[in-house]
Amino acid sequence: MLQNVAPPSRQTPPLLIVEDSDEDFETFQRFLRRSPTQIPIQRCIDGDQALAFLYRRGDFIDPSSAPRPGLIVLDLNLPGTDGREVLRQIKQDERLRKIPLVVFTTSNNPKDIAECYQYGANSYIVKPINFARLKQDIQTLVTYWFEVTELPNLPES
Amino acid sequence: MDMGEATRERVETVDLTNCDREPIHIPGLVQPHGVLLVLQDPTLEIVQVSSNTQEIIGHAPQTLLGQPLGHLLDGEQVKTVQQCLAENFESMNPLDLTIHHPGGTADLDGIVHRSDGVIILELEKKQTENRPDFLDFYHQVRGTITRIQQAPSLVDMCQVVVQEVRRITGFDRVMVYQFDPEGAGIVVAEATNQATPYLGLRYPSSDIPKQARELYTRNWLRLIPDSQYQPATLIPAQNPVTQKPLNLSLAVLRSVSPIHLEYLHNMGVTASMSISLIRDRQLWGLIACHHASPKYVPCETRTACEFIGQVMSVELANKETSEDRDYALQLKALQTELVDTLSQAEYFLEGMARLDKILLRLVNATGAVVFSGDRSITIGDTPTEADTHALLDWIKPHLHHNLFETRSLIKDYPAAAAFKAIASGVLALEISRIHHNYILWFRPEVIQTVNWGGNPNKPVEVQSDGSFHLSPRKSFELWQETVRGCSLPWRPCELEAVIELRSMIVGLVLRQADELALMNFKLRRSNEELDSFAYIASHDLKEPLRGIHNYANFLMEDYGDILEEDGIAKLQTLVRLSQRMEDLINSLLHYSRLDRAELIRQPVDLDDLVQHVIATLTIAHPQSQIEFRIPQPLPEVECDRSQVTELYSNLISNAIKYNDKAEKWIEIGWFERELGSGSQEPGGGSQEPGGGSQEPGGRRREAGSTVLPAAGHSPNPKSKTQNPKSKIFYVRDNGIGIAEEHLDKVFQIFRRLHGRDAFGGGTGAGLTIARKIAERHDGRIWIESIPGQGSTFYFTLSAEDVVR
Repeated sequence: MLQNVAPPSRQTPPLLIVEDSDEDFETFQRFLRRSPTQIPIQRCIDGDQALAFLYRRGDFIDPSSAPRPGLIVLDLNLPGTDGREVLRQIKQDERLRKIPLVVFTTSNNPKDIAECYQYGANSYIVKPINFARLKQDIQTLVTYWFEVTELPNLPES
Repeated sequence: MDMGEATRERVETVDLTNCDREPIHIPGLVQPHGVLLVLQDPTLEIVQVSSNTQEIIGHAPQTLLGQPLGHLLDGEQVKTVQQCLAENFESMNPLDLTIHHPGGTADLDGIVHRSDGVIILELEKKQTENRPDFLDFYHQVRGTITRIQQAPSLVDMCQVVVQEVRRITGFDRVMVYQFDPEGAGIVVAEATNQATPYLGLRYPSSDIPKQARELYTRNWLRLIPDSQYQPATLIPAQNPVTQKPLNLSLAVLRSVSPIHLEYLHNMGVTASMSISLIRDRQLWGLIACHHASPKYVPCETRTACEFIGQVMSVELANKETSEDRDYALQLKALQTELVDTLSQAEYFLEGMARLDKILLRLVNATGAVVFSGDRSITIGDTPTEADTHALLDWIKPHLHHNLFETRSLIKDYPAAAAFKAIASGVLALEISRIHHNYILWFRPEVIQTVNWGGNPNKPVEVQSDGSFHLSPRKSFELWQETVRGCSLPWRPCELEAVIELRSMIVGLVLRQADELALMNFKLRRSNEELDSFAYIASHDLKEPLRGIHNYANFLMEDYGDILEEDGIAKLQTLVRLSQRMEDLINSLLHYSRLDRAELIRQPVDLDDLVQHVIATLTIAHPQSQIEFRIPQPLPEVECDRSQVTELYSNLISNAIKYNDKAEKWIEIGWFERELGSGSQEPGGGSQEPGGGSQEPGGRRREAGSTVLPAAGHSPNPKSKTQNPKSKIFYVRDNGIGIAEEHLDKVFQIFRRLHGRDAFGGGTGAGLTIARKIAERHDGRIWIESIPGQGSTFYFTLSAEDVVR
């Protein structure tokens, strides 16, 4: 399921969130909407859909249906192809590896953290259970990646 | 040997083995109950006769010499003799002959055979008027043969035979006498009307000289109707053809060795008959018949008995094969029982001890010792423990294919003289050199077990003229010499049984090892599964929890106006509970991860580490005023830095939390104690820094149920000899202490002794994690506490610190 949450913007590349939990996604989306920076969001519900989206295959053959994201937010525990595998594939791909990728997960396992950075994750955030903290973390994430940092130019094909 | 020679030899040595040299096949004499004629081949001219022809056939010897056989027999009968010689005379004998002489008529049984180029015709008077025919013979033996064949076992068959032979012949005593490989014999069956049974008696091999045995295999039946007989000489003395003494090997009338006659006389036997039992062309045994008075057995009865002997000889192989099979089956049953018993036992020695008598029965032993490691058990009659251990040490280099066997230990191992009565025969089996598993079986000296065929204490009688009166009883003493220090031999099938026992035990052990390995594998996998279960479950639990948390917050944010104060308060509780649950799950996760994380041992300066922990905790608890006491610098130890940091952090933060005193202090220290020496009670040891508030008698409780016995009570002498130093670390406080009844609960996960929010809350996993960390370092953790005064947590960080 792909939800076109916001109309694609030429200026701001979309944020691709790979998240199987509807509730987590809604929470994420809620905070993002209230953020001063308006970011278009693409959601993939599992690893296979995320890879199809990024490689523009299956439902995403039409490039306009799969714009290059400016940032990938990836959950690790996903049904089907696991988040760790998605990360590995993205970071082994010449073109996709440029896209900043933030792991956003429940897992605080040191092994996961070490491995994700090893594969080339650009950041690793443990989903906090504290509501205020979560709100703050998501805001920081958006501000940092879309306002503080410069994103690379991404070829459309 | 003539009597003169025999006398001379007897003077030289009083030794029954002289019999071995006696040429018994050429005695030059015959028994007087029949006549012997030697005929020229093929003319049948009478060239030699026994001196008793007048008495039996009514012709003087001199009147017969040089005469043709036709002089005695009519043409028809001569033809019969010739026919007998032309054909297989075995099947023709005896011939039915009649001789007319001046005094009357003699009805005779004639037996013909060839010897050294001449023909020997022996004639015995018929006892009955009735001419025997084949049907008589058939009726006599038919039932016997059937019973022999139907006998279920060798012993049964022997019993049938002695009864039948006695029934047919009427001897006082009929026995089956079986030889062992060394020629000694035992009476295995007996039928008698005599008071003293001979059954089970043993006779030394010297009782039956070698050449007698040889004759027994050639001549299947021997009869001595009257041992008091006066032998008849041969006229002339030499075989006219060879000019040597006539070979009487196959002559039924052959005169018996005087030594044998004396032997019979000593046993009170006047008439005797023996029938050979031959197996694989070897003399297996004899059917021996004894009679107290003179007794003649007619030819046809002898033929019947001989036939019975032949049938029995044939059956011997069958019966012995089935006997071996029966024995093998019996062994198999024993072995099965043995394996059943062994497989039920957890340990080799325990299993062997359970076998008890079965182990002895397996090889017909009277004693056994089973060794396993340093221990041993004994079954039945055995030498002393010291003797068996020394013996085993001696045997070890003599083992061949895991076996050692002897029937005369004393020959190679003189020390065995002390216990030859119970252990002349030894059978040793090595099961495992590495685990030192051995079995020794013992058999007593045979002299202790046999029944004697006479009084071995009266072997030689000295005559009034000073010469020895040779008595066959003398042979028992000889035999005593040869069997002194000897047991009955170990049978090949017994050795096989022992070898099989070994392979069964080895198989069993291997199978048990396999099962153990499989069990270990399953246990490891189930541990791993449990770990990943805890880990995965914790993760999956967290997700819905986060949803609850977030949505409760959404409610408060979006509908705060409508919910009013009460609704908001309830949502806040929901949020607080979900947070607490996450804390619990995180603790569980952390705990399960401890097992899976690799332990990285490196030299760590504990002094440094503890200072860091204190600094961190002080920042976290800025409000608490605590005095930290470190009596002496902590050492450097090999450990996992982050885990030990957590261990100290948990213990120290506990000490901070559970303290209601105005002046709080925490002492962090260590001491060394020699393993296995003295008590580990702190406060009493000189090496332990004093100053603690703990009483020496403070209550102590080990963490968990898997910990090892307290150091002070170690029974292991090894630790004493090595005297390694044990580093014991402790964290002591002057806090609230723990009541004795709660001491064993503090290390249980999520087990709290106080209200959730008392003493700053916490999930209740800290001490459980502390214990896990100590255990992962192969150490342990324990606590002493006095309520109201304080607690001390002790821990060690390496295996050598643990007294085993």
